[in-house]
Amino acid sequence: MPIEISWQQSGSTERRTLDGRGPFRIGRSRNGEVILDHAQVSRLHAEVTVDGASVRVEDKNSQNGTRIDGREITAATWSPGETLQIGPFSLRYAWAAPVYEPTRVDLDPAPAPAVPREAQAEVHAGRVQFPGAIFERRTVPIADIRATGKVSAEVEYLAVGGGLGSFCWVDHLRCYGVPASSIRVLGVAPDKAPYGKYGRLCRASQIPLHERIRSNSISTPDNIWGFPGYASRELVRDLLRGRLVGFKSILQVFGEPVLTETYTPRLGDVFRALDLEAERIGWGDMWMHGQVLGIRKTDDERFVVAYRVPNEFAPNASRSDRERFVVVRYIQIATGYPASNFLPDLQEFKHAHPEVTAVVNAYEAHDEVYRTLEQKGGTVLIRGRGIVASRVLQRLYEARERNKNIRVLHLNRSAVTEGSKYDLARRQVRNDVQQQPFNWPKAAWGGTMRKRLEAATPEQRSELMKIWGGTTTADRDDWNRINEEGVRDGWLKRFYGAVQSMTYQNGQVVTRLEGREKFQESVDLVADFVIDCTGLVARLDETPLLADLTRTYDLARNRVSRSGTPETSLAGLAVSNSFEVAGLRNGQGRVWVAGVVAANGPYAVVDSFLGLQYAALRSVDELGSLRAPGVSRMGPLKSFSQWLRWCLGRSPA
Amino acid sequence: MTPTLLGRWHTRLILFLFIGLPITFLYAWYLSAWGLSSDYAISWPFDQVWFRLPPIELSIFQDPFKFLLALLIVGLVLDIAYIQIQRFQWDQDWPFAYQFFFSWVEFFLVFYAMDFGLLDFMFPDGRIPFSTALVHFTWVFTFSFIGVLALLQIFFVRWRFKGGEIGRFPIR
Repeated sequence: MPIEISWQQSGSTERRTLDGRGPFRIGRSRNGEVILDHAQVSRLHAEVTVDGASVRVEDKNSQNGTRIDGREITAATWSPGETLQIGPFSLRYAWAAPVYEPTRVDLDPAPAPAVPREAQAEVHAGRVQFPGAIFERRTVPIADIRATGKVSAEVEYLAVGGGLGSFCWVDHLRCYGVPASSIRVLGVAPDKAPYGKYGRLCRASQIPLHERIRSNSISTPDNIWGFPGYASRELVRDLLRGRLVGFKSILQVFGEPVLTETYTPRLGDVFRALDLEAERIGWGDMWMHGQVLGIRKTDDERFVVAYRVPNEFAPNASRSDRERFVVVRYIQIATGYPASNFLPDLQEFKHAHPEVTAVVNAYEAHDEVYRTLEQKGGTVLIRGRGIVASRVLQRLYEARERNKNIRVLHLNRSAVTEGSKYDLARRQVRNDVQQQPFNWPKAAWGGTMRKRLEAATPEQRSELMKIWGGTTTADRDDWNRINEEGVRDGWLKRFYGAVQSMTYQNGQVVTRLEGREKFQESVDLVADFVIDCTGLVARLDETPLLADLTRTYDLARNRVSRSGTPETSLAGLAVSNSFEVAGLRNGQGRVWVAGVVAANGPYAVVDSFLGLQYAALRSVDELGSLRAPGVSRMGPLKSFSQWLRWCLGRSPA
Repeated sequence: MTPTLLGRWHTRLILFLFIGLPITFLYAWYLSAWGLSSDYAISWPFDQVWFRLPPIELSIFQDPFKFLLALLIVGLVLDIAYIQIQRFQWDQDWPFAYQFFFSWVEFFLVFYAMDFGLLDFMFPDGRIPFSTALVHFTWVFTFSFIGVLALLQIFFVRWRFKGGEIGRFPIR
């Protein structure tokens, strides 16, 4: 849990949020996390380490010493309320309050998170040291940027994010004819893998490489055509090994969803294919390690992007050397989900008991829970009923094969009695959850629903998305069986109600449900572990870069739908049908977005492989019609010849 | 597949033009030159092709084209019904199994309509025998199905997102 350190400096209160374990450096040096510029402060004066609920301070042989509440210390525990004295400064800290910033698990934990985190803290506090005053204007003279001597590249195309959204865009650009030398990608994944963050989320939410993910055969982020899909590739691979099992995939694609269970690809296959495509298009050559700090329009119809290379990628460079600019004409921003969220009552609990590790979010690493359960048995409370809850339940089922003393309480606000209704159809309900193959109805990707949503007004859009969206899981035979078996054999029990309180008693978490209507007695659910499976945060404000852009250029936002699921309850940037952000247009210069950044806009399914491909296709198509350098119109023959190159594994051009 | 009505029509026309017509041309040629004439049927295929192309029987040559045209028109009309069926599916999609099944429904509809005499105005010189129509349709269907599964999206990169419509996305 992050701590917020505050101190007085030249008459005003300075604050710095420190997230992670540390050690965080306090001193005069600009390389530290807390910079105290005074002659009585040594360059590296002291270090702070956060371990669970305890904060420790260690003096680093400073000239003038370190004191806590007047006591001289070399190493000591620093409690909330105590004053840490360094030179003329008095520092205090508090656990970062969830009131304005919900307890969250950051999704960009670069290996040494100090630098990005520090950068974020600066943006939050509105005191950006870099790029500083030069970014106070809405339009920056290009001459001023060049005069800094910090411009590392001037290119046509820049992808901000470095994840799957960026990858799809760059893949389209390359297939449309743009040379790798005109493209740059800014990201923080240590190994440049486009599936870095996605892979982490999968691992945390208990999807190993051999497990199948909730995606389609033709949702192929490594192939802009969607052919061959994963099912055909499985068939070919199995046939080459002399096995016939691959025909099952093809029959699934043929019969789904009416005759057979819907086909879904294996996570490992998706990653391997992405690696191959990354190699083919020269992804690594376009990559630059960097955390983007801000974007501004320039006076020559382009953009200047300020970024900082995280410490671990340039350990010998000074901080100033790691702060650079890229000047670019066309940008795509795909920064993804900023964080995973805890339900409000769980936030409160985490705040009151920061030391208790028994309450976890399904999107953060929590393998320890299953290891402990397999050894000792115990009771688990699952909150939420989406796809992640299904997978967690499957993982618990596997754990039960090692230890039968595992019991599962499944808590939701209310039972699902009937499915959502749209047009002439109703969504299927089974095992107390609405079921559909993917997280939206299929026609929302490229069929009648896509067309309808695009043509709709903002009001109609939020209404439609409320009906199509919501919490669902996949209609998988194994998951249905696990649910039915669990209820029948008594190790799985469902509960409904609003949570009144959560307390920690005798090493167990007690969740008290409110009494309702005629049944006024409250009910206590006692569990060894609580797993929150309710979702990811889609709030733009949680990404400092987007918050800054929205503020600086008064960008319009999409309407908020009231469906109540985290994915759809918060709105993204308003975009055109081709995902361009109108407010950022700068003459010829343009900015497109992809992924959850565009949530609740003209396209519902932004946060899916196929949705990312669609966003990429629309924006690169538009670049083609603008006659942007190197971008073809992608007619049938160009498309076919590029597809042949893909098949042969040859570089796009 | 998640087609729209316009997408169904586009796809059907493009398959008609680029798969149906060429296959029908080859089949009609074969049929009118060798197929029904015992003199040439024995020597087909290769030895005769090289030396002397047999004369084409025009009345026979036309028949497969008329049959294909009837299939196209019936299909274009049925597309309106299919899009209504789709509305009963939560996902508003069109499984490949449906595509397969209804393709053959269309074939039998057209064939029996002809056999029943409803299409005599198109076939004044006699109706097409079942085996001939079956072989013709099997070829057309097989390649069209492959077209829907794979070929169209390779040539038309936007096709799968446009519910089967051909062409670019409108700019603004």
